[in-house]
Amino acid sequence: MALDISEALRYLGVTGVPDDNLSVQLTGLARELEERITPRFRWTLANVSDLALPGQTAARMLADCRQAAVLVCTLGAAFDLWMRREQQRDMTRAALLDALGSVYVEAACDVAEREILVRFPGMYLTDRFSPGYGDLPLTVQPALMALAGAGHIGVTLTDSLLMNPQKSVTALIGIAEKPQPARIRGCRFCAMKDHCQYRKGGTTCHVST
Amino acid sequence: MFQPDQLLFLDGGMGTMLQKSGLKPGELPELLALTNPELLTAVHRQYVEAGADVVNANTFGANRRKLAKLGVTVEEVVTAAIAAAQKACEGTSARVALDVGPLGELLEPLGTLDFASAVAQFAEQVRAGVKAGADLIAIETMTDLQEARAALIAAKENSDLPVLVTMSFDENGRTFTGCTPAAMAATLTGLGADAIGVNCSLGPAQLLGVLRELCASTSLPVVAKPNAGLPDPVSGCYDVGPADFAEAMAEAVAAGVSVVGGCCGTTPDYIRALHARVRSMTPGKREPNCSSLVCTATRTARISGVRVIGERINPTGKKRFQQALLAGDLDYIAEVAIQQEEAGADILDVNVGYPGVDEAAMLPLVVKKLQEVTALPLQLDSTNPAALEAGLRVYCGKAAVNSVNGDAKVLASLLPIVKKYGAAVVGLTLDESGLPATAQQRVDIARRILDACLAHGIPREDLWIDCLTLTVSAQQEQAEATLEAVRRVTQELKLRTVLGVSNISFGLPNRLLVAQTFLVRALSAGLTLPIINPNQKEMMDAVAAFRVLSGEDAGCRDYVERFANAAPAAPAATGMTLDDAIIRGLKADAARLARETLTSCSGLTLVEQHLIPALDKVGADYEAGRAFLPQLLSAAQAAQAVFAVIQDSMGSADAVRKEKVIIATVKGDIHDIGKNIVKTVMANYGYDMIDLGRDVPPETVVAAAVQHNVRLVGLSALMTTTLPAMEETVRALQQLPQPPEIMLGGAVVTKDYADRLNAHYAKDAKASVEIARKLLG
Repeated sequence: MALDISEALRYLGVTGVPDDNLSVQLTGLARELEERITPRFRWTLANVSDLALPGQTAARMLADCRQAAVLVCTLGAAFDLWMRREQQRDMTRAALLDALGSVYVEAACDVAEREILVRFPGMYLTDRFSPGYGDLPLTVQPALMALAGAGHIGVTLTDSLLMNPQKSVTALIGIAEKPQPARIRGCRFCAMKDHCQYRKGGTTCHVST
Repeated sequence: MFQPDQLLFLDGGMGTMLQKSGLKPGELPELLALTNPELLTAVHRQYVEAGADVVNANTFGANRRKLAKLGVTVEEVVTAAIAAAQKACEGTSARVALDVGPLGELLEPLGTLDFASAVAQFAEQVRAGVKAGADLIAIETMTDLQEARAALIAAKENSDLPVLVTMSFDENGRTFTGCTPAAMAATLTGLGADAIGVNCSLGPAQLLGVLRELCASTSLPVVAKPNAGLPDPVSGCYDVGPADFAEAMAEAVAAGVSVVGGCCGTTPDYIRALHARVRSMTPGKREPNCSSLVCTATRTARISGVRVIGERINPTGKKRFQQALLAGDLDYIAEVAIQQEEAGADILDVNVGYPGVDEAAMLPLVVKKLQEVTALPLQLDSTNPAALEAGLRVYCGKAAVNSVNGDAKVLASLLPIVKKYGAAVVGLTLDESGLPATAQQRVDIARRILDACLAHGIPREDLWIDCLTLTVSAQQEQAEATLEAVRRVTQELKLRTVLGVSNISFGLPNRLLVAQTFLVRALSAGLTLPIINPNQKEMMDAVAAFRVLSGEDAGCRDYVERFANAAPAAPAATGMTLDDAIIRGLKADAARLARETLTSCSGLTLVEQHLIPALDKVGADYEAGRAFLPQLLSAAQAAQAVFAVIQDSMGSADAVRKEKVIIATVKGDIHDIGKNIVKTVMANYGYDMIDLGRDVPPETVVAAAVQHNVRLVGLSALMTTTLPAMEETVRALQQLPQPPEIMLGGAVVTKDYADRLNAHYAKDAKASVEIARKLLG
């Protein structure tokens, strides 16, 4: 899984051509990250009606779906321990590692998504979406995590509904019989749209669709 | 109950059986003890009939955190669950285990749950289990060694029942948190577990490697309770059937595993097949390597050759360290640890005894901090029993204690603590009558200490003897006596030896040469654990050379690498100014140029004329989009190196430090990298940053603001769910008679939000500095 350095640069707020030193550092650290940390994921299949997800976002996303995959993915606690160590040793490296970690967990979700697609030949997947997108509240986290078996890959939820380890993702992926439009990758659907650093800087975090 | 050469059969999965009976995923199965105990009894009964000698009561998640949300108590659930299991065992010889699973919340430093609270929660569950009549305790599915320790300590402190501890391992042979089988074995064996092993996560074939490693690392019975392979995400079915399961388990038994059962996906059919397949087998003969070692969860230092103990975490004669201790500056102590690790230390000695420091409170804090920043095993250096107990309790892994001596009173007060926490211990060859004069006296005292250790149940490999280095310029004949004692303790008593080496040369010119020569002689006499300053290259060179000559460094690989990498220092760039070095984030150059600059100006002038303008230049580039976060941080780190130079030259940087600023991530929030970035950048503009950490309750922030009488407090929150805690903290601060200014930051914080709370909005680290400058100067 070659990590996309340009994604990491984007998380770091670096625009334009990065200096060589930074690119070299990121490339080396990305290699170290892939050597040291193996992302884990688990997913399960659920009936959309059983999920009983509140709000418009879920309704629109899963409009064509009877079933959805519930995915949980994490870089695990070992990454967090490494981050804590790196923050004490070298804050610059820590910031780079944090950005690469975000890229890595999303890339692992992509791998999971491909695995899901293989299991449903002839079917189509919706965009991946997570609690916190649009109006899908964080309060659905406990149920989704229990369904996907988050505990089996060491993912817990704090009382304030934060996932721990920190580089963890829960996501829903609808399974439909007809092609699905790209719905989610846009600011319109994002809970962060009012205070997003990218929008303030005149850019977005998504690939335009 | 557990015999390494006798098979004991455990049960199989409970969750799988309950789901078959209609339990919905997400529903807490523990409640069934109250709502449908007959169902539990029926499942247990099937396992007993399939051949299980032990059934786990349905108490896996019966802890306060999980049950409180449902309005039932731990005691109610545990009592009912044990009763349901007991009923299934009636008329048979099967026994009932109190099943103890993870709390569902991560312990420090991964999460924010502190060790004492974790022990308290497990203790409540254990007491309820004992009261309900459990026959043993099965601690299961642990992935964090520290949580396994908390549960085991709670079990040992609140019951006399046998305790079995199993952890979950991944394909890479480690748990999710990176714990190795060797570290698990050393730590849990030391804490008094009765059997250890693996459960859950994978099928039996994939766990064979870990099981073999456990069998080689402990003399305790080893437990295997794997899953029926892996589940299919679509069907939920596991991919290993009963016959294959039993076949793979037979291999585990042949490797020495003696306690067998199943976890997720296994049913009574699996246990029946397992029973039929292995019951006539005798577990394979094991030859565990029980030689001396200390460890942390992720790193093991086996004392099979020279292992360097770093001596620098010690306030004696170190003014800067003393100040750090008195000020509670744990970051400085962490830096000293990191330096020694990078210089090649294998173990770090930790001494925080100093007048004015409450050692019993400080030692556990320092242990926790050090374990957050380094994976090296620690040697806790104190003679204060309360401090040692507090330090060992929170230490994750197997530590060493420095030290006891031949005084019977000292042995009686410290050895029980060493035993309880399964530590290794250094025995000094002196006693109540003082320092020994001869090698013979030293050997006699060592023998006495050994007898006392054995009487307390501390195995001989866990005793390291210190034959005492005395200053050769004062007592010249003692150097030979020490070396002779090292030789005899090694050969006659077969014990490992420790020696503080540096003392030898006190009062002489060219101390290093004498110390290095003495070190080589001591190593030749059998010394394996020299306590030295690893930052002294000559001493570490001598160790590297010795490892070549002793054959420990096979193929001279480490030695060659050490000197191949010792490339000549890059020639100092000419024409580079201090300002350039800071701007470009070149730490070493910045430090060197700072030292040069300090010969002609004061620390304060350096800060005002070079450091701040350089940081401002980077800051301005950052504002303008010409520099980015990585450059901002690199410059801050170069500035940090400059501060360290000033501090060393003045003994303190008080004169150049600006006022204190408190910074914290609010209660409920655990994402703190943003806060830490702000801390790094502000500290290098000269602010004295008081970092309260993450998940900080409002009252802690208020108390710190009052205590330090600060004029500015920074708060961060990352999630919408933690904004209420931020608001509560702001309100509490604003109710103080002299409220501080407050600045807010974090992904979900906006200017409007900050304005509404009468606080300043810090959009990033640079903005935080600007706010502080405007308000504080």
